[in-house]
Amino acid sequence: MRLMSKNILITGVSRGLGLAIARAVVAAGWTVYGVSRATSPEFAALAAAAPGRVKFCAFDLADADGVEKVVFGPEFAGLQVPLDGFVNNAATAYDDLVSNLNLARLQAMYALNVFAPMMATRQFVRNALLHGKGASIVHVSSISAHTGYKGLAMYASTKGALEAFSKNTAREWGARGIRSNCVVAGFMETAMSGALDEEQRQRIHARTALKAPASLESVAATVVFLLGEGAASITGQNLFVDSGTI
Amino acid sequence: MKPAPTLLSVVNQVLANKRRPAIAALPPETRLREELGFDSLDMAELTVRLEEAFGVDIFAAGVVRTAGEVEARLPAAQP
Repeated sequence: MRLMSKNILITGVSRGLGLAIARAVVAAGWTVYGVSRATSPEFAALAAAAPGRVKFCAFDLADADGVEKVVFGPEFAGLQVPLDGFVNNAATAYDDLVSNLNLARLQAMYALNVFAPMMATRQFVRNALLHGKGASIVHVSSISAHTGYKGLAMYASTKGALEAFSKNTAREWGARGIRSNCVVAGFMETAMSGALDEEQRQRIHARTALKAPASLESVAATVVFLLGEGAASITGQNLFVDSGTI
Repeated sequence: MKPAPTLLSVVNQVLANKRRPAIAALPPETRLREELGFDSLDMAELTVRLEEAFGVDIFAAGVVRTAGEVEARLPAAQP
């Protein structure tokens, strides 16, 4: 059991997909190092159900500069903790027409969606180099980076940046057993898509083969797969979990 | 008790990971890339191992090439 154990750092764990991923990681028998601005009753319940295997750090990832000192500091996921996986899940969606683009909001979104995970990857790779046993990075991307949607150009661009970063990280660090992949999630029923009205939802779902939203559990299970030994030969890939967007 | 790490012991750890024999001494003029055969990934590993051992990021203040340049950025050894 000890040999099978893994330490997995996950951002955005308090709700939505991050919470579903944390649950799936605990169910796999691994330990969660969760990061969110604040905890939630659901995350606290998960921690209570798996004593010692669910750690939490309250941190606002909009502060990309603090990632190194706080998240990867000696009080939380520092070099003393051998990390096996990093799931970059936390994100925000600023949606608007390109003609209305606001630079301050764009910069805030890039800080959280791109700069913080890039800084976290820097620290994660350093951790993996020290412990030398290989590691897996999984970025949560979005179908919007591949199929255009009105209003999502800015958000989609952050996910496109992550996919390019992931591909190159995979190439750079593969020789040290560090893998990097993206799960390209379709529209899910989470707070992030909460602003959509029923007609918009139907239009989006009509563009998928399954005519349904992507399930949180299916996306979370794919993340766990990429973290695990079954994906040992998979790196630099984008796995689409999107109800077959067409 | 584990002996306190030294630049030599950390360099030998990186060499061991490359399945290369340990070295007995590390004169200050030793060039890490040319003489020890460290590539950029080895240099990154050396950086992290030194940071863990000494709490200093040797590349934070610019590129280092020789053992002596690395040593100069580490905290002075305790007497």
